[in-house]
Amino acid sequence: MSKFMKIIYLDNNATTQTAPEVFESMVPYFTEQYFNPSSMYEPARQTGQAVTAARRKIADCLGHVDPKEILFTGCATESNNTAILGAAHANPNRRHVITTTVEHPAVMEVCRELERNGCKVTYLGVDRDGKLDVREFIRALTPETLLVSIMHANNETGVIFPIDQLSRITKQTDPSIIFHTDATQTVGKLPIDLALGLPYVDLMSFSGHKLHAPKGVGVLFIRRGTRCRPYMLGGHQEDGRRAGTENVPYIIGIAKALELAMEHREQDEAKIERLRTRLENALVQKIASVQVNGKGAPRLANTLNISFHYIEGEGMLFQLSGYGICASSGSACTSGSLEPSHVLRAMKVPFTAVHGSVRFSLSRYNTEEDVDTVIEVFPQIVANLRKLSPYWDNERNTPRADALSLVQQTQT
Amino acid sequence: MGWEYSEKTKQLFMDAVHGKPGTHLGEIENPDGMGEHGSIACGDSMRFTFRVTRHPSDPAQDIITEAKYLTFGCTSAIASSEALCDIIEKGNYTPLTALKIQNSDIVDYLHGLPEQKIHCSVMGAEALEAAVFNWAQRRGVDLKKLGIDMHDQETEEGRMVCKCFSLTEPYIKRKIRELNLRTIPQITNAIKAGGGCSSCHHVPGGLQDLLDQVWGGQAAASSGLVQLPVLPAEPAPADFSPYQFAKKIEKVVDEYIRPALRADGGDVEIMDIKGTIVYCSLRGACANCMGASQTLKMMVERSLKDQVDERIRVIEA
Repeated sequence: MSKFMKIIYLDNNATTQTAPEVFESMVPYFTEQYFNPSSMYEPARQTGQAVTAARRKIADCLGHVDPKEILFTGCATESNNTAILGAAHANPNRRHVITTTVEHPAVMEVCRELERNGCKVTYLGVDRDGKLDVREFIRALTPETLLVSIMHANNETGVIFPIDQLSRITKQTDPSIIFHTDATQTVGKLPIDLALGLPYVDLMSFSGHKLHAPKGVGVLFIRRGTRCRPYMLGGHQEDGRRAGTENVPYIIGIAKALELAMEHREQDEAKIERLRTRLENALVQKIASVQVNGKGAPRLANTLNISFHYIEGEGMLFQLSGYGICASSGSACTSGSLEPSHVLRAMKVPFTAVHGSVRFSLSRYNTEEDVDTVIEVFPQIVANLRKLSPYWDNERNTPRADALSLVQQTQT
Repeated sequence: MGWEYSEKTKQLFMDAVHGKPGTHLGEIENPDGMGEHGSIACGDSMRFTFRVTRHPSDPAQDIITEAKYLTFGCTSAIASSEALCDIIEKGNYTPLTALKIQNSDIVDYLHGLPEQKIHCSVMGAEALEAAVFNWAQRRGVDLKKLGIDMHDQETEEGRMVCKCFSLTEPYIKRKIRELNLRTIPQITNAIKAGGGCSSCHHVPGGLQDLLDQVWGGQAAASSGLVQLPVLPAEPAPADFSPYQFAKKIEKVVDEYIRPALRADGGDVEIMDIKGTIVYCSLRGACANCMGASQTLKMMVERSLKDQVDERIRVIEA
């Protein structure tokens, strides 16, 4: 990729560009109002007030909850760790956790750690569309259940879980069970009202950098009265629930970003969905042996997870980057481990398609032109790889008749 | 939410408010002892004054003959103040024996107080204690020599635990012991700690930790409240097996509930039955109906309660 090439950024579920307005709002807190909000002198008091105002703004954006229920953290991963470990730590009398097989590692790995320490964890599976089975969820609730942690929307597929319904069933069955949701992919994208829409959610995590604030700041909503013990100790900040000097500029930034997102949410969503649909329809139409993952479920408007059978994702990403296009894949080669996407495997996406998956995730900064460039170059990118694929019949542009048995052979 | 006050509490309050003879509203001029507790910011406060008949040689044998109070607070705070004065005047207490009066004596005198109002009686006992300390100072009695703990270091040196009500660690711990408090709600009811923003409940050094320190982690064992209450473990009623219970529910649904819903173009599906909880989902016209959850509660749950078991709860799934 040449240094001067225009970047077409379609990986917004990974991170987002910091909005210029957000950046601007932060600058004074580096250069002029750099004071420690806990200090006594007047300028510091003003810095403290700015943090208070940011907290209130976020509380307002989430359904006019009490600002005391908003905790600033370093990232969504920290929020998730605090929520899950904190709930387990504060309620040692119960030893069962319910989560799903498609959670982000920031939830999944924390649950595994609880498991290693003697908790029982139920991992709820999903169907081919990525949906949960409500019956299975009800069956999983036990008198021992301490915590339910289920993501609001999936980062890879954009599939939205019915958190309102699941949290209501949980709390109506047993109000002592704590309900946590990782809303990293939904805050700023979906309307979230913790007072009226999601009154049964006790804990909710999200981060700034998925909604056009910078990396390095997250939020944990802790509903008043929720039994959750903090683990970041060493200071009075956040009422002792998360010690450490407040990251003032970033706190200002995340509040501004959320405010912007809520202000323009409906227009942004409509525009983004139009672009996503345009991209999806064109790729499905122009390329053979394609499947859209999560198509049968409610999905975030900005996410397109699409699999191209019998080719490998990394090869597609590499060619895309030659055009300045940034996207990601569920293939093993791109995950940093040797395992392909656990989410797509949980959805029983065939092996031949898991590795060939590409995720495009849009933001309000994308244009029709961006999408059209992808539509223009992508069929050739796929064709290039299929030419090399041992499983592809290039003459007929279909998988080879014996492709499946070949795949099975190499797997055994 | 209305509090359930005893007749005695209501009577004392009304008597005080109407200034009935024999009530104790007011402030003694040049008292022998004066003590205050609480503050307006915290929602209630009390100023308690008493007069003694002085013993010619031994102040420790002074007898309290008159007590009065000024109280800012609710019905039970006023009634508790009245009760305290009554107990004291009728008991021929010396200031030292008066220290033995506990908040529980006030509660008994009132024929009980609602749990959430226990702190009113605690306020009375605290104000009394402060007044006795004040008397001792005026009369030159060294209480420490008499082996009385004056907790004088508590507020100055104690770490603030509950910021909303300005309560320190030594104070809260002492009260946990004295009043045998075993759970956070009990602490809140008795001394208000943790009743504001509630962020001090589970932080390190917070109320739960103080409970664990005082009771050595045994608080949970001795109380059902700290332990998360276990899910309605009521199994299907003993006279049926779970299978028969489910069958019975299905029968009522099939014969009674479903036909009624179908008449309106709707339907109901039983998703699961766990113990006495029935998980239902409304289908058809009912699924999109604004009053769906009302239908479930009023129609489905009522029918199942009437015709199968009163303990049944219906949850919309």
